[in-house]
Amino acid sequence: MNHDQISSAGLFVIGLAICLGSIPYKLGSFSTPESGFMPFLIGMAITVFSAVGFIHSTMRKKNGEEWSSLMRGVRWQNSLIILASLWGYVFLLMPLGFFLCTTLFMAFLFRAIVPHRWPLVIGGALLTSTAAYVLFEVWLKAQLPKGLWGI
Amino acid sequence: MDFFGNALMGFQVALQPINLMFCFLGVVTGTLVGVLPGLGPVGAMSLLLPTTFHVSPVSAIIMLAGIYYGAMYGGSTTSILVNIPGEAASVVTCLDGYKMALQGRAGPALGISAFGSLIAGTLSVMGLMFIAPPLAEIALRFGPPEYFSLMILGLTILTFLASGPMWKALLMAALGLFLGCIGMDPDSGTFRFTGGILELSDGVGLVPVAMGLFGISEVMLNVEQSMGRSVFQTKIKNLLPTLQDWRASFWPIIRGTILGFFLGILPGGGAVISSFVSYAVEKKISPHPEKFGTGMIAGVAGPESANNAATGGAFIPLLTLAIPANAVMALLLGALIIYGIKPGPMLVKEHPALFWGVIASMYLGNVMLLILNLPLIGLWVKLLKVPYPILFPLILLFCLIGSYSLNNSILEMGLMVLFGVIGYLFKKFQYEAAPMVLALVLGPMMEHSFRQSLAMSDGSPFFFFQRPISSVIMGLAFFLLIFPLLPWFKRKRPAFSE
Repeated sequence: MNHDQISSAGLFVIGLAICLGSIPYKLGSFSTPESGFMPFLIGMAITVFSAVGFIHSTMRKKNGEEWSSLMRGVRWQNSLIILASLWGYVFLLMPLGFFLCTTLFMAFLFRAIVPHRWPLVIGGALLTSTAAYVLFEVWLKAQLPKGLWGI
Repeated sequence: MDFFGNALMGFQVALQPINLMFCFLGVVTGTLVGVLPGLGPVGAMSLLLPTTFHVSPVSAIIMLAGIYYGAMYGGSTTSILVNIPGEAASVVTCLDGYKMALQGRAGPALGISAFGSLIAGTLSVMGLMFIAPPLAEIALRFGPPEYFSLMILGLTILTFLASGPMWKALLMAALGLFLGCIGMDPDSGTFRFTGGILELSDGVGLVPVAMGLFGISEVMLNVEQSMGRSVFQTKIKNLLPTLQDWRASFWPIIRGTILGFFLGILPGGGAVISSFVSYAVEKKISPHPEKFGTGMIAGVAGPESANNAATGGAFIPLLTLAIPANAVMALLLGALIIYGIKPGPMLVKEHPALFWGVIASMYLGNVMLLILNLPLIGLWVKLLKVPYPILFPLILLFCLIGSYSLNNSILEMGLMVLFGVIGYLFKKFQYEAAPMVLALVLGPMMEHSFRQSLAMSDGSPFFFFQRPISSVIMGLAFFLLIFPLLPWFKRKRPAFSE
């Protein structure tokens, strides 16, 4: 299967799921549409468009069109590192508090993708966290989660 | 109050020190975003949106608008000096701008780009002042069917102009409409697709979606590539174009302004399309089309004027009809709603200070940008040298804090990361995110108008074709949908893409 076949097949399933998921909200009729009416129509549209896409990409494949790998020639591991760090931040922000969590997050990113020297990593992470804390918590009065030292 | 009275009031609002400061902040941020590849105006605006909740809506919209047109100015700098467009709307400037720089004419290229942008920006703001109020008066006569048809047309134009197969753009628009359905149904009070999560009762937030799709996904793609870039090393001199440069650029600037303004008004049009069309027009009517791409100043002046004029034009459907012309305007629409201001035809009457103040600030912003872009060009060049490995963690941190501080919600932060992954996959599979964001904003309004129209017509779906304005708009949308299927267009499509 090529990329478009994979993505359109996935979206076809999503479209069907939306149609089925709309039914419990009641569809109503054209003169008295209920809450499930619009999502059902949208789900139908997604199903139809993705079916068109699947047929279109199958025809292109049959015509001999070449498809290159999505991950060829790129450092896809870097994206995974970024993703892991983002989810880490989301899950650790509440338990660790803003300052500690942000410092660890920045230090990790300064070191993990393109390794900088440790003084720069630690200094940069502390400086960024402090500046962000002052900007958002002190100046803009955003209520950031507090950690061990009340920051 | 007459036109001049309104304009005067607008300047009184825009010249208040706090609004001047926010205008300055907006254009500086916009220029910065334009100069630094990797974060577009949508990403920057969604990042800064939560920080504007503590100021007045007028100041906030002035700043957000400044980011938009400021990015158009800044985008040209990288196109000319590094051959990397800082902004999608500046892609075409690379063709002749970078060649001019290689020939030692970086100064005139930057200069004509800044002057052209100033002229186009100012003229398009004047157009906005003259066209928006009467259009708002006409829009007062629009009912739900007309609004629904207009929104359908907007989405259709955006999908028609999207790169790649049309089915992909239509799918993205449909997905965006579905996202707009999540949350409480305003007509019946039913909670839909919330999975029992209370925080989703107000729907999926625009900011986490936009930050994820445009900010996080962009960083994820950039870190997969080589992160070095070379900056043009020659000293930049003679920023003021010569008389000969002016002679070659005057009509391209005027043509670019007119084209950009009217293409900007069209829902789905905007700065990117305008710049490409302007370049194509200049090349077509030039006595030396073969020289385009070798360093022709008209190839810089036209597109740069067009993309700035488009920013002014794009405000017209937003401020008069509450219909955003592109993803940036969709974000501004979302911002207005968050500030408790109902956009649409009544905006001019109910919030004259906001309407005229924002327009007047755009005049001032354009002058600020000229000052920022010419004498301070050295500073922007230095900023180009900030290594991406230092820059991207800061972008990610701003995205995280921005999404959290919106409602102090970890869920919204998680949603943003999730949409970052979705945006990354979309880009890998070559799906454009812009129709999805536009549809997310339009979704609730579209559903409301659609259901109202059906109720008005006792359930006739042909009702949209029975009212004159609505039928014309629907006819246009239908034509755009079937147009790509015509054999003539199929043959010409590769040329359009070029």
